[in-house]
Amino acid sequence: MNVLEIKNLTKKFSDFIAVDNMSLTVAEGEIFGFLGANGAGKSTTINMIAGLLRSNEGVINILGKNAAKNSRFAKMNIGMVPQDLAIYEDMTAYENVKFFAGLYGLRGQELNERVEEALEFVGLQDKHKSYPNSFSGGMKRRLNIACAIAHRPKLIIMDEPTVGIDPQSRNYILNSVRKLNEMGCTIIYTSHYMEEVEEICSRIAIIDHGKIIAEGTKEQLKSIITNTKDLWIEVKSTEKVNVESIKAINGVEAVQIDENLIKINSDTGVNNLNKIIEHFINSHLEIRSLQEKAPNLETVFLTLTGRNLRDQ
Amino acid sequence: MNILNIAWKGIKTDFRDTRTLFFMLAFPVVLMLVLGSALSNTFGNSLPVDDIHVLYQDTSHSDNFNQFIDAAEKSGIHFQKVTETINPQNEVKQSKYDGYVEVTQQGLQLYVNNGNSIEGSILQGMLTSYVDKYNIASEIMKVAPEKLESAFTHKQKDDFIKETSVLPNKQPGSMDYYAIVITTMIVLYGAMSSSSLIISERVRKTADRLIASPVRKSEIFIGKVLGSLVSNTICVLLVILFSKLFFKANWGNHLGMVILVLLTEIIFAVSMGIGLSFLTKTSAAPRIIIMLFVQLASFFGGAYFKIDNPQGIFKFITELSPLTWVNSAITKMIFANDLSAAIPAVTIHLTGALIFLLVAVISLQKREGL
Ligand SMILES: Nc1ncnc2c1ncn2[C@@H]1O[C@H](COP(=O)(O)OP(=O)(O)OP(=O)(O)O)[C@@H](O)[C@H]1O
Ligand SMILES: [Mg+2]
Repeated sequence: MNVLEIKNLTKKFSDFIAVDNMSLTVAEGEIFGFLGANGAGKSTTINMIAGLLRSNEGVINILGKNAAKNSRFAKMNIGMVPQDLAIYEDMTAYENVKFFAGLYGLRGQELNERVEEALEFVGLQDKHKSYPNSFSGGMKRRLNIACAIAHRPKLIIMDEPTVGIDPQSRNYILNSVRKLNEMGCTIIYTSHYMEEVEEICSRIAIIDHGKIIAEGTKEQLKSIITNTKDLWIEVKSTEKVNVESIKAINGVEAVQIDENLIKINSDTGVNNLNKIIEHFINSHLEIRSLQEKAPNLETVFLTLTGRNLRDQ
Repeated sequence: MNILNIAWKGIKTDFRDTRTLFFMLAFPVVLMLVLGSALSNTFGNSLPVDDIHVLYQDTSHSDNFNQFIDAAEKSGIHFQKVTETINPQNEVKQSKYDGYVEVTQQGLQLYVNNGNSIEGSILQGMLTSYVDKYNIASEIMKVAPEKLESAFTHKQKDDFIKETSVLPNKQPGSMDYYAIVITTMIVLYGAMSSSSLIISERVRKTADRLIASPVRKSEIFIGKVLGSLVSNTICVLLVILFSKLFFKANWGNHLGMVILVLLTEIIFAVSMGIGLSFLTKTSAAPRIIIMLFVQLASFFGGAYFKIDNPQGIFKFITELSPLTWVNSAITKMIFANDLSAAIPAVTIHLTGALIFLLVAVISLQKREGL
């Protein structure tokens, strides 16, 4: 079953089109990644799914039901982890989770159990009585997640849940995402960190200027953009390297020398590894190491959108 | 249920906020103490009460009043029969006597000098107990020097008769006075915290979480308002209790009614805060507006010093302050047992609240999110 279906979704902020005729389907059990630069429209899309923003056009179906017409049903089944921390500084970790879970109709013993469960899930079981102002950035992020999962939603939407935190907390969060997924939750995951998306997402949509410009598994995405691969050969000395003769090898598109590293860009369709190594041996170049560099999502993104994922 | 959930959360966090607690509890108590004791001299209830001279004329052919005169004499109130040669009203007008009592078979009329003199009040009180005892119809005339004639020709009966209930020991002392005006002032300051009810959720982004939950916007709004009303009410009750127990402030015999009037003021203040927060763009603007408004309203409403008989344009300005109305209402309820005095204040509060709430509800409906 499809947990989420988006059809021709459009959102305008006065004249500015933030989300442009977007269509998308997320099936049950997926970890679906939203990849996009600042201002691409990720949060706007997510906020419409969660019912925070009204769309100008289009339909959103949650678990097969129109979300606008069945807003209560849709909201009951969604857990939203907002991009900005949304927790009360003047309430303890426990009270925060309990308050929000209580809004989903949980009461009494069941409510307390679910709150415990959620806090334990994010590793804050020892921090029940602590106030968020005593938390590190990572702990706050984890509390932000706990507040969204205590009511056991079918669809969890995470808008950059790992922004600005230590590697340990980040690993914790990524593991939690996997665990939630194993427990049967479908997850929409937004991030600036390519490695994260590459690591945990089963399917990815690249969003730019409010549109999905590519969608699929990471392998599918990589194959769209490139038919070349990089071969990095480290040699003892680059004195005897003849760039022109390497370029003459069938399939080689470009050669670049970077200190002791020779970077050879070559057509994936041509199997020329033997010929290249042969050339090195014949030229008496002593090979120290050899690496084949497949394109990563970062290059995919750069090629498709013409800009870096992060403003730097 | 969600409404109560949200209200309860608001109450809980309100009472954790030391700033709110200081402002709503410690601040008024200290202010009462300082103003109430520093300015106690300006309140006249410590005047010596001997030497009250009263003229009277008794045509009732009963001995009751003579007995009263004998009893009053012991408390230092000297009665003197009117003689042919003097005009009793003139004597009172010129303050040669503190009052003139006319006892007839129909009842009793008291003339006192205008201006709420303490002697006049004591006289009224004594006579009231006498009148109550014998169930005699009574009237009190306040003799305004310049209005002597008209006071006699058009008998504004209702107004005068009401005054019979003013008892001498029920003049507000300075602590009584400041207990009232500081309480009503602090209630109005409650608008400060309610102005950030919704804004703070937006700033902390928890508004998004609230909207993402299956709770209607109206429930969130009602819950927040309800929580704020309860918090403010608790604070006011604590302030009243404290002033009663430790400052011996007089809150009268109709405390329930007084609290009801204060409750309408709380509703007004909370609604004003919320309404203003929807009318302005920044979160600082409503606080500044409320601060200015409450300061002015307090100044002209008599929160810092008593304003006696304002005249002309000044009177008009004092009447613009909602505190003038509620202070006068509560004073009359406590010291004159006049419950109907609450009507103008309650009307002002509820009308104002309605307007501000409408503003808030309409803007809330238009907004995406909270
Ligand atoms: N309330 C709003 N009013 C006007 N413009 C808005 C509003 N919210 C978002 N935008 C604009 O819409 C565009 C998309 O914003 P959005 O927050 O969806 O981007 P994003 O992909 O989540 O970016 P980021 O990675 O920075 O979070 C941006 O250009 C933003 O300026
Ligand atoms: Mg975003």
